[in-house]
Order: sequence, then structure tokens, then C-alpha cells
Amino acid sequence: MMKKNKGDLLPALGFIAPNFIGFLIFTVGPVIFSLVVAFTSWNLEEPGPLKFVGFGNFIDLAHDENFHLYMLNTIYMMIGIPISIAGSLGLALLLSQKLKGIVIYRTLFYLPSFTSGVALMILWINLYNPEFGPINSILNSFFSAAHVAGHAPDWLLSTRNLFGMDVEHVRFTSKQFGLGARDAIIIMGVWMGLGGNNMLLYLAALTNVPEDLYEAAKIDGAAKWALFKNVTWPQLAPTTFFISVISLIGGFQAGFEQARVMTQGGPANTTTTISYYIYSQAFEQFKMGYASAISWVLFVIISVMTIINWKLGNRESAY
Amino acid sequence: MKQFILYTFLGLMALTVVAWALIPRRVVDGKVALTWTSDDNPARRGQITLFNQEHPKLKLTLDPDNSDMEKVIVQSIAGVGPDLFDSYDPLQLTAYVKSGIAWDITDELKKRGIDVNKTVWDVTKPDIELDGRVYGCPTNASGNALWCNKDLFDKAGVPIPKGPWQWRQFIPVAKKLTVIDPTGRNSQYGILIDWTGDWEQFCRQWGGHLYSPNGTKCTLDSPQCVAAVQFMSDLVNKYKVAPSASEQETMATAGGWGSGTISLFEGGHFATAIGGRWWLCTMRTEPSLHLAACECPYQDVQVYMGGAKGTLINKNSPYREQALDFSLYELSKPYNDLINHQADAMGPVIKYCYSPEFMHDPSYPDEIYNDVWRDALKYSVQGQISPYMNPVEQNLITTAEIQLVESGDKTAAEAMHDAAAKINAEIQQNISRDPALKARYDREIEQGRP
Amino acid sequence: MASTPKKRTFAALNHTFLFVMSLTFLAPFLWMVLASFKPLTEVEQLNPWPKHWMPQNYAEVFRQVPFAKYYFNSVFIAAWTTFLQVVTSAMAAFAFARLKWPGRDTVFKLYLGTMMIPGVVTMIPNYAIMVKMHLLDSYLGLIVPASFTAFGTFLLRQFMLTIPPALDEAAAIDGARPWTVFVDVILPLARPGLITLAILSFMGNYGSFFWPLILIKSQYLRTLPIGMLFFDSTYGRETNLIMAASVMNIIPMIILFVSTQKYLVSGIQLGAVKG
Repeated sequence: MMKKNKGDLLPALGFIAPNFIGFLIFTVGPVIFSLVVAFTSWNLEEPGPLKFVGFGNFIDLAHDENFHLYMLNTIYMMIGIPISIAGSLGLALLLSQKLKGIVIYRTLFYLPSFTSGVALMILWINLYNPEFGPINSILNSFFSAAHVAGHAPDWLLSTRNLFGMDVEHVRFTSKQFGLGARDAIIIMGVWMGLGGNNMLLYLAALTNVPEDLYEAAKIDGAAKWALFKNVTWPQLAPTTFFISVISLIGGFQAGFEQARVMTQGGPANTTTTISYYIYSQAFEQFKMGYASAISWVLFVIISVMTIINWKLGNRESAY
Repeated sequence: MKQFILYTFLGLMALTVVAWALIPRRVVDGKVALTWTSDDNPARRGQITLFNQEHPKLKLTLDPDNSDMEKVIVQSIAGVGPDLFDSYDPLQLTAYVKSGIAWDITDELKKRGIDVNKTVWDVTKPDIELDGRVYGCPTNASGNALWCNKDLFDKAGVPIPKGPWQWRQFIPVAKKLTVIDPTGRNSQYGILIDWTGDWEQFCRQWGGHLYSPNGTKCTLDSPQCVAAVQFMSDLVNKYKVAPSASEQETMATAGGWGSGTISLFEGGHFATAIGGRWWLCTMRTEPSLHLAACECPYQDVQVYMGGAKGTLINKNSPYREQALDFSLYELSKPYNDLINHQADAMGPVIKYCYSPEFMHDPSYPDEIYNDVWRDALKYSVQGQISPYMNPVEQNLITTAEIQLVESGDKTAAEAMHDAAAKINAEIQQNISRDPALKARYDREIEQGRP
Repeated sequence: MASTPKKRTFAALNHTFLFVMSLTFLAPFLWMVLASFKPLTEVEQLNPWPKHWMPQNYAEVFRQVPFAKYYFNSVFIAAWTTFLQVVTSAMAAFAFARLKWPGRDTVFKLYLGTMMIPGVVTMIPNYAIMVKMHLLDSYLGLIVPASFTAFGTFLLRQFMLTIPPALDEAAAIDGARPWTVFVDVILPLARPGLITLAILSFMGNYGSFFWPLILIKSQYLRTLPIGMLFFDSTYGRETNLIMAASVMNIIPMIILFVSTQKYLVSGIQLGAVKG
């Protein structure tokens, strides 16, 4: 390309400067600062130097039962991920057919993902209204039409869940079995993500599956399902893997917006995920030190998960 | 491509000018805009409108969304804090002063010849005064007395009592007002107490305290406190003039009134209830309720629980002189008359609580008992606070223990001992985490001032 | 292959199936739009179709809250942020993709590494910076920190790498300086990438929630998400108005998507696959 190796340094500095300076001030600097703060008891209000407490915050975190509960909540909410990925795959298969106007359907299915945000969440609050919302109205009419003694769930007002997790302690009890706020948020999340970027990625990957593989399999007399299992699915493995890793990383950090808009972390803190906990510690109580410690623990967890996933994925998709 | 970028940039600059022009200015048409962060009590609006009328050069608005103490402090540090904000207890006041955002107005008031100490009720002083310096003026003052359901008294032929009187004199009166219907259940009780709200008043009246004077130790396990809580239990089980927890629950659902104390009293099955004048804000909307009031009984010490709120001024506000006008307004007759009229508890200034407008408010001719409320303020104190304990944590512990006594699961002695033990453990944990706090704690103990 | 009757029937069935499926999938949107035209009393009824049509709900939203200001703020902030992001990312991406300089790959790995870090980690110190610099509750505070992401640089670098180097070499032989190569050769060819980044960035900032939530105190700065949040809690259950506000909130995004989906879809697929 250009003449000498060093000769590009000056212009390179010029090009990269605006971005890099901002990067240093708002990304690199804060990351380092956050790591330092995690070892202090800083709360933004007291003037004066930072007080170091060593590993105090982390020890407190280990004993913090709330933290364990919120971690459970976060993991529970990730139930939706495999469902969402499977659904995206299904949709992609459906929309990869060579049909006239298939692009219109792709647009329609992508809408919930593209427009997701506070407005949609507020919409779902109303959909989930136990007395007046359309979801329960429909469910209740099914119950009465089928003459089944059933009662539509309370959704966002209920602390129940599919694992029977208890409210104040890390315990499981059948009393708490049912559909509650967490499940409501999971369902909404699946709806929002189904036709989204994952589906687009699968669509792209599907077009890249070589036709001859299908031909070969058909010649061997493979039926539709066998075609999928033996040709499509393995070819999509790298995409599936990529999507899983991204979803996992996202899943650990998720839940804040939904909790803040729909339930304020309730009922009884059941929809409080790790990110919501960090928010309430940092920006409602301004316990910056403790909140930073939590966010670094989150980072470590995500990194470990990603590395594990990478190792697994590399082994599998190596064929 | 180059042109596109240029046009976009110019467009953005144009939008920026628009945005900048639309930013609300502090001074509009010669009027200075002031913000007061406080709770969204409907009475506030009347109080603010009156202030704006009296001060045409100022425009005060309420900001109900940012009234959290933490938010106020952080926003003030960032330069976007309010001009006026509220302090609900001495710990909040201390936090505000320590973080440097509360303005010390002692000298300003002196210049205007005002000595707040001589002007306002004692119960309000902890919220505005710290170490002899004044940081604001109180918004109101509240103290407990006994609400009486006049109809039930008339029906039983009992005259409305007049204080001062002690609990042992109260019992026979309450018994006359407790009625058991033919099925053996109570249709009426002599008194309704709010266990988790009133326990501290009982303790103080028996001579006990929540903390030692400087807050280093929780003294709920003292014989006085135990005796006081035992008496609350006796009201239910020995004298049977107050409902048990389950009986209270039944009354709540049966009457369809909801289970808040005020709602229960409005239901008409209680002859008396310990409460504050601010109950009128809700009770005035119940025309079927005929009320009277009398002094609340006491035991060894005539003391009643009360509360107050102070409005502090932001030291860093560029318009703090104007904000000071609001503090002065809180000491003025029109404001105090308004508070008394609204029944937002009572006005903070002592002399205006003796005004004829308060004694006989033409809008509420039946409220002839306001002297009772005023006199209660003379003996009212705020809940005790310790610098070594988070009041929210303390409240969680005492509420849990008191509820166990109320439901009969623990005796008064057991509960009080457990509460004191838990609180003292918390205190020790708090000082172990904070060296400065520990130093102060050790100093007080050493100098014999627990 | 010619279209046989059997194929046409199959296609018709397929279409019907897809149509019904998408309608069911989009049912919440339909409910939202219909509810936005209902009077409050009808919202709670099972029948989604309004008996009385009230388009004045939309005007009422503007009367109850400064909705126009919310729109302005969202667009204004998102536009600036997008502009700054695209410009700075493009320049940096050029430095990474085309220029050779010592430490280039190390620094790029640094960029990549920070993309893995959860957003909350940097939110807290960034907030503290805003407090200390008195930029809380200000337009600058809302725009500037959000204008620098590693993602934009990453995406554009990938795009630029797909442009054949022969073109810049030709320009270099003509004696062009790096800046000229950048503006006249690379930028026009990287247009799809730039558009994709612009759309993604705008969409992200338009719906940004966390940062405005903690930064904004005053009413005049509220963006649409924050305005919607407080609309819901302050005015209680005027569901029909809230639905109207939601519809108005979403429409710009729909228009943006439908008009640019070609770029967006290929951009996402390219960016992810190459990554």
C-alpha cells in the first residue's frame, strides 16, 4: 500500500484521534476506574478521597442473599433463549422458501424486534393486565368454553414461576409454581426476538448451504426431516453457535429495561436481575463501590461463559 | 458524499440552535424560577400558589420526581440540584449538611431579627437545626392525640374526656365503649392502636427510650420499654379494649374499609384511635363521621410522638437569596393559616396556632377541638435516631418484632430483647465497616456519653 | 419450471398460512393501534374493534404532555450521536483497515476486547464524570458519551476490508494523500456500511433508555422513552392515550426500517458473518 511502515503513523494518528480520544475517555478510562472503584466504598456524595476497603465489597456480595436471588432470576430469564433461537430457525426455514413477496413477510416478522423498546413494553403491560387485558380475556374464554376450571395467571403481579422458586430465600417450593412476572417477561422477550437479527442470520446462512448437499441427500432417498437433521442443521452449526454465544452474553446483562418499565423489579423483587440490581445500587442508592464490584463479577461470569462456549463450539464445528 | 456530510452538519447545527433556544431559562419576564423538591401531597399546590401570589417576582414550582435524598445530593453536586428540598429527620439534615449542600441561614435570619428557636414548635427543631446552626424553616408540625368517634361516645352516654389523664384512668372509659354483640364477638372496641406506628410513644411514656442519648446503644430491652409493650398487649388480652391482629383483620375485610388505620377508624367500630391531625385530610371526606378529640393518655411521662418536615435551601443555588423568601414565608401568618386550614398537620409557628382562625375555622364549623391538637404539640417529640444505625434497617427490625407481639407469637419481653440484640449487632457491624464512625463511637463511650 | 396448478395451489396455501401467521404474530401491534382510537371505557372490553372512533386521542396526547418536545429531543440527540459516531468510526476504521502503523493490531484488539465488557461497567464512571463536569441533565451529557463506540469502528473496518486495495493503490500512484484516498475512494465504496451503521446507531440511540434515565432530571430534556415511562405513571391508566403515544413512538422506526431494510439486512448479515 503506502510507502514505508512508519510513514503511515502521522496520518493514522490524525484519522484515529477523534474516535480514540473519546474511546479513552469514555471507555478505557472508565473500565480502569470502575475496577479501582470496585475496591472502595465510594458513594459519590462524600467529598474527599476514596476509601479503600480491599475485597470488602466482594465478600459482602458473597454473603448477600439478595444477590443470589437476583442471579437466580437472571438465569431463569434465560430460559427464553433456546426457545427464541429455535423459533428464529423455524421462521427462517419458513421464510427461506422461494415464494413471491416473501420479503414482505420477513419485514413483518422483523417489526417487533426493530421497534422494541419502552413503547412496546408499555403495550405488553396492558396486554398482561389480569382483569382487562386481552391475553387473560382470551384465556378465560378458553377456560369457560372448554369447561375447564382454570384461572388465568396474574402475570406481572405474580411471584410464581415454572421452577417454584421461593421469594425471599434461595429455595424451591411447589406453592410458587405457576406463571408469573418472570414468565411474562420471558414470553414477551421471545416474541420480540423471534423474527429479529437471529432470523436474519439464519436466513443468510441458509442461502449459503450448497445445493449439491441437498441433492446428494435426496438421491439417497432422504425425507424432509432427515434432510434437515443431516444437511441443514450441521451446516447452520457455526451460525447457531455464534447466536448462542451472543445470546448468552446478552442474557446475563438483560432484564433492566423490562424490570424498570414494567415491574420496577417486583413483585417482591422477583424480576430484579443482576443489571437491575446494579442500577438500583448505583443510581438509587449511589453505592458506586458496591455496584462496580457487582458489575465486575458480572463481567467475569460472562467471560468465563464465553470462553467455555468457545472451547465447546470449536470442538463441535470442526467438521 | 462530501456535500451530504456538509449539509447534514449544517442541519444539525440549525437544530442545535433551536434546542438551545428552547432550554428553559431561570429568569423569564423578570420572574425568577425556583424549584422545590418535595412529595406530591395535594396540599402542596395550594401552599405554592399562595407563595407565588405573595411574591410576584418569583415563580416556585414543585418537582415531585427527584425528592430522594440521594438524588438531591448527587444532583446538587452536579450543579443541577433544586433550590429548596425537604429534610424529614435529623439524619437527613446531617447528611445534607455534611455533603455541603445545605445553606446555613442562622445569620441571615438574625439580620432580619428572627430567632427560629423562639418561633417554632420544639418538635420541628431537629429537622432544621444542627449543632446550634439553622438551615431552613419547618413546613409543619404534628403531634399525636386521641381521635374520638362522637357517635359512639354519645351512644354509650360517655362524655368526651379532657386531659391530662393517664392510662389507668382511660381503661374504665374504654371498657364502657367496648361492646360485645349477642354472638360473643366485638361490634365495637374502645381503642384502635397502630402497633408498628405507636410502640415508640408507649415506650417513651413509660420512661423508656429506643436508644441511649447519643445513640450508641439500643435500649429497647429496658424494663420500661418492656412494660410499655406489655401494656399494649394488655389492652388486647387483659383489658380487652383493643382488637387482636386477627380481629383487626376481620374488621378490615368485613367492613370493606381496607386495612389502613385511618380507614379502620372511619369504619366506625372504634371509639378512639391514636393519631395525628393530618388524618383530617382523609376523614373530612367522610360526612357520616362525627369527630371529637382529646389528649392522649400517658403513663409516667407526658410525651407524644410527632413529626415535622423542614425545607432546606441549596447552598450552591444561584438564587438562594430568593429561596430564602420561601423560608420566611413558612414563618408567615398566611402560610400558617393555610396549613391549619388544610389540616396538613399544623403550622410550624407557635403563635399562629392560637389564632382565632384556627380555633374556629368557618369552613369546618364542627372542628371545635383544635386546641387539643395545639396543646399536644407542646409535648411532642420525633422518633429517636442513632448516627450508628440506618433508620430504615431499624424500622424493619422493630416492625417485625412488634408484629410478633401483636400476633401473640412472642411476649413483650422476648420481642424487646430480641429487637435490642439485633439492633445492637447491626450497630457493631456498622462501626466495624466505617473507621470514622468507629472513632466517634469510641470517643463518646470513653467520655461517658453513651 | 413452469407453474403448474398444483404448484399454484401450494403457493396460495403457503401465502394464506404465512399471512395468518404474521397476523397472529403482529396481533399486539393491531391491538395497540385499535386501542389508541378507543375511548377509555372501551379499552377494557374484549372486542378489539372500537365502537366509537376517537382520533382526537392523538391530539390529546400532545395536550397532556410536551410530546412534540420529546420527539424533538429524541431525534436531535440521536441525529447528533449518529453523525458523530459515523464520522469518527469511519475515520478510525480507515486507519485500521488501510493504513499501516506500529501497534495497529494491538490497538484494534483493545477495541475488540472492550466490546465484550458489559455496558454497566462503564456507565457508573461515566456518570461520575458527568457529575463532576456538571454535565448532568444537559444535551452535551446525553450526546457526547454515547458518540464513541468500538462497534462502529469494528463494523466499518470489516466493510472497508472488502474493498479491493487496487483502487487506493491506483490513487496513491497518482500522488493522492491518505485523506483524499479516504474521502474520494473509500467512503463512496463503503456507503452500504456507512448507511448500515447510521441506521443501527440511530435506532439504538432513538430507543436509548438507561443513559437518559440516569442523566435526565428536567422535563425539557426528556426523550421519548423517558417521556413514555413517566406518561404511564403520572397519568395513571389512560390506556388509550398511552397507546396513541406508543404508536407515535414506533412509527418513525417503522418508516426508517421499511425504507432502508435492504441495507440493514445485508449489513447485519455481513457484519456478523465476517465477525
